[in-house]
Amino acid sequence: MKATAVFVFLFACTPIVVQAQTAVQQRAARTAPAASAIPTPGQFPPYKVPHMADGKPDLNGIWQAFVAADIDVQDHDAQAGPHPEIMGAYGAWPGGQGIVEGGEIPYKPEALEKKKANAEKRMVVNITSDPHRHDTGDPELKCYRPGVPRANYLPFPFQITQSRDNIIIVYEFGHVLRTIYMKENDPEAPKEAPADSWLGWSRGHFEGDTLVVDSTGFVPYTWFDRAGDYHSDALHVIERYTPASPYHIMYEATIDDPKVFTRPWKVSFPLYRRMEKNIQLVDFNCEEFVEKLLYGPYFKDPSK
Amino acid sequence: MANRFWVSSGALATMIVAILLTPAFVAAQAKSAAAAKAPAANNKTWTLPHTPDGQPDLQGYWTSLSFTPMERPAKYGNREFLTDEEAAQIYKEGVQHSYEFTFNDFGDTPVYDATVYALSAWQEGVAPNRRTSLVVDPPDGTIPPLTPEAAKVREAFRKTGPNQDYADPNAPVKADTSTDLNLGERCLSFGGPPILPGAYNSDFHIIQSPGNVLIEYEWGNEPRIIPLDGSPHLASNIHAWHGDSRGHWEGNTLVVETTNFRPGATFQGANAKTLKIKEYFTRVDQNTIEYKFTIDDPSTWTKPWSAIVPLSQIKGPIFEYACTENNNDAVNILAGARAADKAAAEKAKKTSGVPVSQK
Repeated sequence: MKATAVFVFLFACTPIVVQAQTAVQQRAARTAPAASAIPTPGQFPPYKVPHMADGKPDLNGIWQAFVAADIDVQDHDAQAGPHPEIMGAYGAWPGGQGIVEGGEIPYKPEALEKKKANAEKRMVVNITSDPHRHDTGDPELKCYRPGVPRANYLPFPFQITQSRDNIIIVYEFGHVLRTIYMKENDPEAPKEAPADSWLGWSRGHFEGDTLVVDSTGFVPYTWFDRAGDYHSDALHVIERYTPASPYHIMYEATIDDPKVFTRPWKVSFPLYRRMEKNIQLVDFNCEEFVEKLLYGPYFKDPSK
Repeated sequence: MANRFWVSSGALATMIVAILLTPAFVAAQAKSAAAAKAPAANNKTWTLPHTPDGQPDLQGYWTSLSFTPMERPAKYGNREFLTDEEAAQIYKEGVQHSYEFTFNDFGDTPVYDATVYALSAWQEGVAPNRRTSLVVDPPDGTIPPLTPEAAKVREAFRKTGPNQDYADPNAPVKADTSTDLNLGERCLSFGGPPILPGAYNSDFHIIQSPGNVLIEYEWGNEPRIIPLDGSPHLASNIHAWHGDSRGHWEGNTLVVETTNFRPGATFQGANAKTLKIKEYFTRVDQNTIEYKFTIDDPSTWTKPWSAIVPLSQIKGPIFEYACTENNNDAVNILAGARAADKAAAEKAKKTSGVPVSQK
């Protein structure tokens, strides 16, 4: 009887064990989701991006990031925004998982103080007719150029226009225009930045299907987010744009600034193709929305 | 402040000859002479280049600067073209004038000399233009009259709008708020359409992708993206500072139609609701795009009118023009007006007999 009971028990268990093994085998065999399956975040089926007539990968289109990194590139909770007594939920800022690989920005200890000072004074705007206008206040608040890579993770779309010798990115935010020089040994586009700028001087080339963009020559006035993360004029950014599907570019940027950080660090996140029919950028000329903020103290009647 | 480059007429003539004989200028003239042929003629030794996807190639860096007046001087009547001699003379006069010209040309007290900064048109590669005027239609080369309602609007704006023309340098500057400044001083918008000769650095970068033509204007690095896909214009209740453009090729000419202009920011104050601008870009030789525009706004002008502005090729690149980030204009004009207000108030208090200590 005992032997029979054991046999029955074993027999009864077998189907469950067989089924469990099959599921494990299936997961192990699946290196990418089947075309008809629900996609798994972080995984893409193999993809070959179409090439343009000149043989280069085609990155044309309107793209947008959907992370909360403009608020804080590191992990952060949701928070009340400015003047919650008026703005309520309109003005509150969403929480977000950080885009910084490894989690933390590797500040030099003395450089961390400036980040904190930036954050405390991010809404202190004092515009003069000299560089002291940059001493306080988030440049995004002032509708200034957001710099690199922040322009790519603002909550606004941007359009990539790709010709043989140039890639121009137009950001809906402030119609900011960024040129990436693609031509080798271009006499009209020197290798070194001829002048410092907010968006840097960008040279690009393709490695396989990845657009690699190398940027230097930055002014020291842009921030990486509203949390006051910043850089110096030594900033050097290397970006990689890798099409991962017809609808995604996997983006990463390595930030190297030995005056501020102990080592280079990286941010990464997907860019999504905007798929609305007849999608186009709509003007967000934020200059007109910041005039009172910037110049109010010089108005005849500051209350108007 | 006297213009330190002003010289006697004899020395000026000598200087002009010397300038005209410098290698750079001679090279520019040779380039210009080729471009100065009748605008529509094709130079048989030149082949129109195409982009990899087959569009006529308009790409590169171009300037819209010109010595040609917008409207035709009456002496030419309906004559569209100058003789070669007349064209060369006008070009020479343009170069000579550049030594006298300043941006706020108040008689004998120039602000500064454009040539010092290599900002004069001829220094930027502008070629002689054989046209008597930029306006080509109506046939007399003048802009048609305004409609009565548009004339009223313009007169009112002249009285209350920003002091854009600097017509009277002695008039007090009204600068109570930023809206009393013009769009450029506020860094709000530059670059048309239409494309016109600007004051200086009136430069453009054109690139083409299979679906779009993109025009970057140097001032403000302002973009105009022109889709070629035949998609419909934006809905009529969405407006754009540069309007909303759609383009298509007709032979070798890019035809661009622009609507959806923004009230308060239209070409010559035209009516945003009814204004339509059509542009035609044709590359006629290696160094020249023949650019034509037609302005159509029946509530502003009594009939449509057109002009042709040659775009001359220049060397790139175009640098970043961070306008808002460095807007000293807005700060200084407003701060200056406040200082003037304060001075006027103190003067009034003094003359009214109120003791200084009680202010």
